[in-house]
Amino acid sequence: MRPLTDTETKTLFDKLANYTGRSLTALLTTTAPSANPKSTAADHYVFRIQKDRVYYVRSSLANLATSVARDSLLSLGTCVGKFTKTGKFRLHVTALDVIAPHARYKVWVKKNGEMPFLYGGHIVKAHVGRWSEDVPEHTGVVVCSMDDTPLGFGVTARSTAEARRLDPTGIVTFRQADVGEYLREEDTLFTT
Amino acid sequence: MALKPKSGGSKPSIKRSTKPAGSSSAPKAKKKGPPRPPPTQHKPKPTLANTKKKPPHLRYTEKELRLPQLNGIRPAGVQKLPNKKKGKHFVDDGDGMRTILALVMAEKEGNIESKMMRARQLEEIREAKRVEAEKRVEGKRASLEEKKSEVKRQKRGGSGRAEAETAQTSSAMPLKKRKKVSFG
Repeated sequence: MRPLTDTETKTLFDKLANYTGRSLTALLTTTAPSANPKSTAADHYVFRIQKDRVYYVRSSLANLATSVARDSLLSLGTCVGKFTKTGKFRLHVTALDVIAPHARYKVWVKKNGEMPFLYGGHIVKAHVGRWSEDVPEHTGVVVCSMDDTPLGFGVTARSTAEARRLDPTGIVTFRQADVGEYLREEDTLFTT
Repeated sequence: MALKPKSGGSKPSIKRSTKPAGSSSAPKAKKKGPPRPPPTQHKPKPTLANTKKKPPHLRYTEKELRLPQLNGIRPAGVQKLPNKKKGKHFVDDGDGMRTILALVMAEKEGNIESKMMRARQLEEIREAKRVEAEKRVEGKRASLEEKKSEVKRQKRGGSGRAEAETAQTSSAMPLKKRKKVSFG
């Protein structure tokens, strides 16, 4: 487990910035109450890489984890995603909790569109309850249910203006990750 | 490095001095008595060796040597300084992270802005094309209507009587040809 290098940090933030707005800086400034009851200093969060996976961890936890051998350390904190062999970054569904509060664009799906999405389908226009205004095409969006529960994230297939003219069966958002993966990919999601 | 052989060398001398004492050979010990002082003389040697082995760059600074200045231009192919840190450069401090994030965000904002601009321009072009097409269709329809009304006017003005006749015959004919159909 080690901190990220500058190129890795840039790649990671580049990916996260697809889905989030300016409030992404909050990830670095967010603090948690210290694990040590004696100390009054708040605990901040850091990004750590273990093998090829990136974790968003409380710094005190990251410090404790240094006492665990690299081979034995399976996971810690919240897994954001993993670096591919080519140096690109893949966001995992586990990053949804990190992204969702800072989402720049959102798509709300109707009740009848939730299950198709959670089974791994793309979002068609007929299932969209509402969407953010002025969304350009091929931009990251967070998919929410009508009661504002984040269900996953994806990439817009059309801009909002174009999507208005689309027929009801036309795809509006390409799925990237959904919470259904917790069940579908149960065996492989946390294996390294 | 220079110390090791000396410490190794001093040990045998001590052993030799102790062994004869154990074997109680007095004459031998007396003979080797005079060489004993040298160990005390050996001690200052390491300091001498250190002064000798001090590399020139520690003894003089480059300015003191008054050397002519070398060409300091780095060739295009060589990007790394020879004394630069090897390996990965970690970003662990908050400030470093924040600067990278700010750079990335600025880039992203620019991208999104340009995308929006492009989308808006395309939308404008599409709208203009649509308006133009509508206008063309409207013009065609108007010309057709005009032509129709013209033809009608021509017919009315040219053969008024014939028209009346045809109207009369048309009204009379259907009465004669009328057929009745009964079911069951």
